[in-house]
Amino acid sequence: MKVKWLGVLLLSAAVAAACGQGRAIFNVDVYSFLQGTGKDTVSYFVPAGVSASASSAPQKVNLPGVGSSLVDSVRAFGTADLRNATGAGTIGLQVYLAADSAGTFNPSALALTVPTKNVSGTSTTADTIRGDISAALNALFTKSQLWIRFQATASNPPPSVTPLQGKAVLTSLLLTVIIEDKFF
Amino acid sequence: MRPSFVGAGLVALGVGCATAADAQGVLTDARRIGMGGLGLEQSSLRRFNAAYRAVPARSGQRGQPKLTIPIPLGLVQFLHDHPHISKDPAFNRDSAGFDPVLVLNTVLNLPLFLEVKKAPTPTNDVVFGIGKDSLRANLGLTATLVPQDQFGISASSRPLDPGIDIKGVRVGVMGWLHDELQFQLGDKLLGFLADSQQAAHNTTYDVLVHGMVQGGLAPTVSYAGRIAGDTALGLYVGGALHYYLGVGYFRTDGTAGDSIGNPIFARPLNPVGQTVTRYSKAGNSLGHGVGGDVGFALVTGPIEIGVGVNDIGATITWPDTRTDTAFYKDSTVAGAGPSVAYSRPGPNHVETKTKLPVSYIANLAYTVGKTTLGADVLNTGRGSLVHVGGEQRVGVFVLRGGVARDQRKRMEFGWGGGLRFGGLGLDLGFWTHTNSLSNQRGITMATSLSIY
Repeated sequence: MKVKWLGVLLLSAAVAAACGQGRAIFNVDVYSFLQGTGKDTVSYFVPAGVSASASSAPQKVNLPGVGSSLVDSVRAFGTADLRNATGAGTIGLQVYLAADSAGTFNPSALALTVPTKNVSGTSTTADTIRGDISAALNALFTKSQLWIRFQATASNPPPSVTPLQGKAVLTSLLLTVIIEDKFF
Repeated sequence: MRPSFVGAGLVALGVGCATAADAQGVLTDARRIGMGGLGLEQSSLRRFNAAYRAVPARSGQRGQPKLTIPIPLGLVQFLHDHPHISKDPAFNRDSAGFDPVLVLNTVLNLPLFLEVKKAPTPTNDVVFGIGKDSLRANLGLTATLVPQDQFGISASSRPLDPGIDIKGVRVGVMGWLHDELQFQLGDKLLGFLADSQQAAHNTTYDVLVHGMVQGGLAPTVSYAGRIAGDTALGLYVGGALHYYLGVGYFRTDGTAGDSIGNPIFARPLNPVGQTVTRYSKAGNSLGHGVGGDVGFALVTGPIEIGVGVNDIGATITWPDTRTDTAFYKDSTVAGAGPSVAYSRPGPNHVETKTKLPVSYIANLAYTVGKTTLGADVLNTGRGSLVHVGGEQRVGVFVLRGGVARDQRKRMEFGWGGGLRFGGLGLDLGFWTHTNSLSNQRGITMATSLSIY
């Protein structure tokens, strides 16, 4: 509720100035909410021969809150560094979104799955986060806040005997929320 | 309270891009609309040129109607679109669906006449950039519609003017009414919307609001007569001296907007408004002031030229005025504090002054056979309006056309026609307009009935 009126105000401004038939697009810099909190980093440690996942703590993201407006689509674009320290295997990232902190741990909160990347040895591999957020979660973006959590799923397949260890560090993430013209 | 507050800002914003009120007030005569707003008839010129009371009717032009009644087809359309206006969420400020833009646009552009072509609206996207502590809007091409200057509506009218004429000298009592409603975006809000500037911490984004209405009576002595020549070639002069008696006035000046905190999303919305209001109610001591009108007209065969100036020096002194201040801040919206609203009475029984805007008109008419052409430049204190138009009479039919340049220097076009049977006339006029929330033209159709 705190910022819902801001959204209504912004959308109204859009209506007033743009006269309404176009779309309102909100570019939400999610990374700015994560930067400096430590929640932009997921540390992973996977013993040889198994797969495991690790996660950051959920982070709240403020949104303008657009009330009854219809969210047409939400597109994510970001980058991450996979800073591997030891071992070799694959790392995949998942993004979870929910209306509250605990909800981000529900399987239904899975918003986006980033294809796996191979990592090995001590190296940094750049990864790109790109794709449409699951449409089932569109309604979250009409609220004044949502929660986001990152998860890294690492696989350390045989015959490796070295633990796969490192960090997945988010370096940018922008969510583009496209709002249909139903502002009031 | 919240919706109305937000509405005030939005209204300013929304309507501002479009409204260029006609300084002559709302036109209800399809004949004038058909000529792009040109007041070709002498009856309409008398309002602004004191000499025209003595100028004889043009030969060849039909008589002036005693009464013109607009046929408000637009209202039918409006009521069809909003059948239960009292329950319509868009018009109910307590509803989540309240649409202040629609409300004010309706008020400023009364739907009297039928909108046969709505002004097409821009379709470009608008983009907002939001970060943990940043906010920026990019309205794209439509940012050009954000009003840079003051905008609103105003009108000065003389709704009644009974009197007695004796050989060009007229003694009477004139009713007068002046109202204005103006908005101007504050620099910060303008920068945010028009120049895509990033929102700043601890900054108020607001709209300056000015509203005033004043009215009363004015005992008037005037003269209009021909001082040289004859009916074919004559010079006419006119003048009027008014003693304005103000029955009441209300004026408010203030700001309304939002105060953003630090960081921005910690307290993103703190509606804040403040006003200074001065008023003198009916029943208080009457306001008083003196002013005058002058005008001349030259008639030379088929050509008629005139210049008129009105309300010269019309300053009204109100001896019994009260001044109040009001403040409103709603931190509950941001969850950062209580809602604070108060109105504090200020000095009472003090003297204040108001002015009536001086209006000017320069007009030209040319009548040959069954054709009358004309032009005028009218300034009622809010920029000049230019009208050029004419009418062609063919039997019982009349064809009309005209163009106008409004205060925003936009060209508008009018066309139409009429039919007259004896003492009854039916007229139809079309007028392009950009009075809606668009830079492009729509077309309004006006219909009116005249009794001759």
